[in-house]
Amino acid sequence: MIRATQCPISAWRSVTPILVGVALLLAAGCAQTKSFLTSGAAPEHTGTARILLMAPDIEVAELTAAGLLEPKKDWTIVAASNVDLALDEVLAAYDTSIVKYKADDDGAAYDDPDIQLIKLHEAVGTTILLHKYIPALALPTKKDTFDWSLGEGASALGQKYQADYALFIYLRDSFSSGGRVALIFVGALFGVGVPGGSQVGFASLVDLRNGDIVWFNRLASGTGDLRDPKLAREATEALLSKIPL
Amino acid sequence: MSRVASIGQALAACLLTAACATTPPAEKIAPGQTPASNSLEAGLWMRVERSEQRLATSGRLVRDPALNEYVRGIVCRLAADYCADIRVYVVRAAGFNASMAPNGYMSVWTGLLLRAENEAQVAFVLGHELEHYLKRHSLNQWRDLRAKTDALVFFQIATAVAGVAPLGYVAQIAVLGSYFSFSREQERAADGGGLKRMVAAGYDPRAAPSIWNRLIEEKDASDDYERPLIFFSTHPASEEREKTLAARAAEIDSAGKTLGESEFQAVTASYRNDWLRDEIRQRDFGRLEVVLDHLAANGTDPALVFYYRGELYRLRGAEDDADKAIEAYTAAIDTGGAPPEAHRALGLVYWAEDRPAAARAALERYLASRPGAEDRTMIEYYLERIP
Repeated sequence: MIRATQCPISAWRSVTPILVGVALLLAAGCAQTKSFLTSGAAPEHTGTARILLMAPDIEVAELTAAGLLEPKKDWTIVAASNVDLALDEVLAAYDTSIVKYKADDDGAAYDDPDIQLIKLHEAVGTTILLHKYIPALALPTKKDTFDWSLGEGASALGQKYQADYALFIYLRDSFSSGGRVALIFVGALFGVGVPGGSQVGFASLVDLRNGDIVWFNRLASGTGDLRDPKLAREATEALLSKIPL
Repeated sequence: MSRVASIGQALAACLLTAACATTPPAEKIAPGQTPASNSLEAGLWMRVERSEQRLATSGRLVRDPALNEYVRGIVCRLAADYCADIRVYVVRAAGFNASMAPNGYMSVWTGLLLRAENEAQVAFVLGHELEHYLKRHSLNQWRDLRAKTDALVFFQIATAVAGVAPLGYVAQIAVLGSYFSFSREQERAADGGGLKRMVAAGYDPRAAPSIWNRLIEEKDASDDYERPLIFFSTHPASEEREKTLAARAAEIDSAGKTLGESEFQAVTASYRNDWLRDEIRQRDFGRLEVVLDHLAANGTDPALVFYYRGELYRLRGAEDDADKAIEAYTAAIDTGGAPPEAHRALGLVYWAEDRPAAARAALERYLASRPGAEDRTMIEYYLERIP
């Protein structure tokens, strides 16, 4: 909803973010997850899985009375640090060794293959959300299979970090403003259900030998609070609950 | 009158006069100023930082150091004390556009550089964009939007409860209109500020109305021009802005002010072939015709202008366009400076027009002038099939 830029001639528009929002919110209410495993065999690795943890993409916003999402930087900072900690704890329960992705300090170059892979994953992840989670948008050739891949270029990242898998995390959390709370109350008086903030996100596990997305999980919840360490841990557990490691 | 209805009436009055927004507009940003992390502004910055990151790593970004330095130089002259706060991204994209994000990143489309006739015109547009940043228009706009939509949603509930729901829809339209009018006010303010800024940087103010005039001409010639509803238009009609700017520019002494025409032509000339190729892919031929007319009038290499006129007619394919295309390509080739592709295009038009000998000769000239042509096999295949 935010107008990112001011243009003298034309406003930039795209429906994709809206559709992604729809995909994420379709199951909102109580905490729900729905995961997909790659078609065919479960992922294979020998011994301890080496996981490259990508920088989680997190944003926390306030839901205004009218339903605008106002981004909150301070909340986002707290949420990101809570999720970082929770990921360490939750992943420690699995037979894994974790290495964290580090962006190059000299700024993002467009010819940096890592950056382009992250952007590619963003595009593929968004596509999965749209076309696997919204039945009306199911793709005829992808309806009954789950065979998404970033391509073999992903192996460079695996070699660089000596990792078997890359784990991507995307989370959006929102909280009702005072106005929204009042609206929910007024709505309830007249029997109208007005939704409050929600927590949505996805996790995706990429096999770094061939770039295949071997596992994908969506989280959607009408409760939870990433700003709270304990609740952030619960959300992270739900998000990773069926990870095939 | 019931109590709900009277509350509704009060809210409606408030909405219609847009008096709900109690926060005064944010002050002009200071050089080097960054928002406190618990502020709304920090949230808006955080969100656009993502899009900036995407843009900074985009394949559409123009990497050429000379062009970047040139555009950045213009921005810095305009921004003065704020130069260090502004990041400029030149984006390879057809169409006239430039945009400014609240955190200080500016994107400048190559389509703007293709259309501008001098540095002063570019300076006006970029000065306009800078004003959005300096006056924190995004922040003010968000506050305005939030206040108005918040009030609206309660008003709609009140009208629904009072059994006069249609009043709620009327209010919705009023709020939309009020929101866009706020946005139009910002555009007018940015025009005024941009004009002052360009003059302070030494540019001739008469360039400001002229670039707007240029835009109106193109808009009117566009193939897919749809007259926008004035009510919902986020920008004041260019005609109105052009008039206002012309009047203001006339009041300013332009003695000693520069248009920067020769510098601009020297820097941009070598990119025009690429930019025109981007433009023709839009397939808005009416618009492109205006662009080409202006380029021709401004001393652009005639070989280039003729070649792209040929492309325009060939791709448009309206009545008589084949003849016009042949004429244009031939004129391009006659200048001696046409790209080898002019021969190929000419050959294809001749072939379609059932003139095999001329087609064959042109395609052979293409292969001769571009020995390493990527499509050599295809062209050789065509040559076999031409009777």
